[in-house]
Amino acid sequence: MSEHHEQTFCSKYIFSTDHKVIAKQFLWLGLFFLAFGGFQALLIRWQLAYPEQPLPWYLLGNLFYEGGLMTPDHYNVLFTMHGTIMIFWAITPMLIGAFGNFIIPLQIGAPDMAFPRLNMISFWTMFLASIVLLASYLLPEGAAAGGWTSYPPLSTPVGGIAGEGQTLWTLALTLAGTSTLMGAINYIITVVRMRAPGMTYFKMPLSVWGLWLTSIMNAIFVPIIAAGLILLLLDRTIGTQFFIAGGLATVEGGDPLLYQHVFWIFGHPEVYILILPVWGIVSELLSVFSRKPAFGAKVTAICMCTIVVLSSIVWGHHMYTTGMSPLLGKAFMFLTLLISIPSSIFFLNWLGTLWRGNLHFDPPMLFAMGVIWVFGLGGLTGLYNATVTSDIYLHDTMFVVGHFHYTMAASVLFGGLAAIYFWFPKMFNKKMNPLLGKIHFWVSFIPLNYVFFNMMVTGYAGQHRRLYNPSEYEFLAPISDLNISITTFAIILGFSQLIFAYNFINSIINGEKAEANPWKANTLEWTLEGPIPHGNFATTPTVYNGPHEYSNPAVKDRDWIAQSEPMPT
Amino acid sequence: MVKNTMQLWLKKIKSKAQWTAWGIWYIDPPKDVSLDGYRIDNVIQYTDTVITIYFSLVILALIFFIFKYRARSGHTAVYDKGDSKKHVMATIAMGLLVFFSIDVVIETMSFRDLKEAFWNFPKGENVLKVEVMPQQFAWNFRYAGPDGAFNTDDDVVPALNQMHIPVNTPVLIQIAPFDVIHSFFIPNFRVKQDATPGMVNTMWFQAVETGNFEIACAELCGNGHYRMKGYLTVESQEAFEQWLADNAPQEDEEDEWDDWDAEVDEGNREIPEEWGWTWKEIQ
Repeated sequence: MSEHHEQTFCSKYIFSTDHKVIAKQFLWLGLFFLAFGGFQALLIRWQLAYPEQPLPWYLLGNLFYEGGLMTPDHYNVLFTMHGTIMIFWAITPMLIGAFGNFIIPLQIGAPDMAFPRLNMISFWTMFLASIVLLASYLLPEGAAAGGWTSYPPLSTPVGGIAGEGQTLWTLALTLAGTSTLMGAINYIITVVRMRAPGMTYFKMPLSVWGLWLTSIMNAIFVPIIAAGLILLLLDRTIGTQFFIAGGLATVEGGDPLLYQHVFWIFGHPEVYILILPVWGIVSELLSVFSRKPAFGAKVTAICMCTIVVLSSIVWGHHMYTTGMSPLLGKAFMFLTLLISIPSSIFFLNWLGTLWRGNLHFDPPMLFAMGVIWVFGLGGLTGLYNATVTSDIYLHDTMFVVGHFHYTMAASVLFGGLAAIYFWFPKMFNKKMNPLLGKIHFWVSFIPLNYVFFNMMVTGYAGQHRRLYNPSEYEFLAPISDLNISITTFAIILGFSQLIFAYNFINSIINGEKAEANPWKANTLEWTLEGPIPHGNFATTPTVYNGPHEYSNPAVKDRDWIAQSEPMPT
Repeated sequence: MVKNTMQLWLKKIKSKAQWTAWGIWYIDPPKDVSLDGYRIDNVIQYTDTVITIYFSLVILALIFFIFKYRARSGHTAVYDKGDSKKHVMATIAMGLLVFFSIDVVIETMSFRDLKEAFWNFPKGENVLKVEVMPQQFAWNFRYAGPDGAFNTDDDVVPALNQMHIPVNTPVLIQIAPFDVIHSFFIPNFRVKQDATPGMVNTMWFQAVETGNFEIACAELCGNGHYRMKGYLTVESQEAFEQWLADNAPQEDEEDEWDDWDAEVDEGNREIPEEWGWTWKEIQ
């Protein structure tokens, strides 16, 4: 690099502008909040299985609550913060912050992000948002308790949540959104402007496609939720009434339904914002470990683009029971169901990649194939919620919770773990223990399915969401045993992640040094010897091949060829 | 002991057979006692069946591929990008097959059911009209009384959380909350309707069996959300009329209001005594 001034510890590891360092910062932040949010999920599950009984010692009940007993206030805080943290502080930093930062410049052959300093500010804005969010726990009234959707008027002081926790939540989310937006602009411009010579759009790996489309959606939709949150913040702080109507309003003109529209115009695309990177990464990993080109890669990319467009016009399916006009209800239902065409096409392409491949079951592959399973189930169970009539019954029940945990939690978690196992050798130049990785897969896969599938069953039996004590209702008596077994499996799922934590940390400290291309993959990041210096490529690579030239008969003696290697003739 | 376990299992299998849906068989939803709830059950059951078939096919393919194409010495992958016209057409065709066999069918069923039942509000003399006003954390109900008009002196306002309806009579409900968003959910009737401040929503249902059922609030409304429970009693026309007469407003209304206050949970807001609204006619 031309700039060769001395780097201090601070400028190298803390206020670094190197996308690889920022990626690791985001990864640690995401993993911390993943553990934190996951732990809260266990507390929620405990309450659902053993309502109003003291938490056991291994859930640290006495540390948090007097006598280990949680009150309805605590419970509302738990599910609100669990949702918020998992979506905005765990998945977003892990997939988009960490892997977006790490793989986009490396896979397109760029020296760094288009705006390295903006990239750094993006992380530190997120860090500030995290502090604001965590500070809300220390307030006397506790953190936010209005649900992750925080519908007003409940989330306004007159609606019942007067504590400053909800205000800090709004503020923290706005900050996190700002951080995401800075990242998004950076990623989009990096992909558009900084691709290496020869790297056409259809020669980009599908993982870059996924992250790029995600960033485009972030850039479009995050400002919308930011606007909504700022209005909510005004309602909370200076007494405006944008979202207050009915008996609580003192002036005319407020409308709580407006917030729901604003929230879901962002909120539905958000689901795809989270899942698109996973689709891209899974498409890519299946190809690597099948030693075979990604089946219909171009069609997959086009399907992802179609879904991006469709996902922005279907938000109404979250609002079927709000009393929406029949015409709107039908239109949203039709548009929502249309998504199943591109989804099934690229899903079939995944299976097509495996077909006639040469499958290596390394940990990243196991998790990628796990995504096929969980996303298959998650996608198909979405049909019940897209249909107006079945949604009348299932809306706001645990069925919806089970469904979106399959799509968002399970798919995204497995996709993220696949990505960690896959890029760990490049990120940390160390190997992870593959056996522990395989054990980790099975001890996650089985309980995870038990938990999320049976959440849907409890919803089908009528259990509604955000319920502090299911035993209040007689019609829920038949499922009290099921709730207990779900909780048992959830605890197994939670604690089995310690295997991963051990493997991850131990590998960083004691792991064997990894070779440059352990998976024999084609994409550009694997051509670099670790540790990769600031500035990445010594000379800008020229791209000759697509990313999926595995088992190409033109290449002799091996089944891969780097994208920057001319194809032998 | 063994015999008991056997009997338990036999009982489970029997109850499993009662519910014929493929996917979710071991827990029944609450018993459907409404005229149109079966429509929702049918849509769910159809979706269960078809997605079970498709998901099984995917899993079978996955298991087959895992076995057949596992890496082993002498085995290599076939270099195939899957972008030939034949392959692209095949995937698109399969995508469309999924769309037409699931989405189009459930959409047609759903549109039909909405038109025939859920969005086809009943009209005429026989319809019982009820106004519902949820508040944190209770349900208020209001019946029109002898004059047939709402927001008048003879409105029948029964005790908090108590709703009675006659069997085999369409019940038309208008719902608007006092404070925050609530959602009126009767699992046994498969119906749910949000109550959003600032708007009056309409829903209807009809009971085909008598009995006592629970009403739940399905939208988070605060700390007491979980115990915002109502009681729905479905009874004969005669019993219902008797109940209405028993609850008719009396001279010593003060006492009644005192009882109300006792039942309203701590922290509830005071609601105006005259909370009803003039019935909003549907266009």
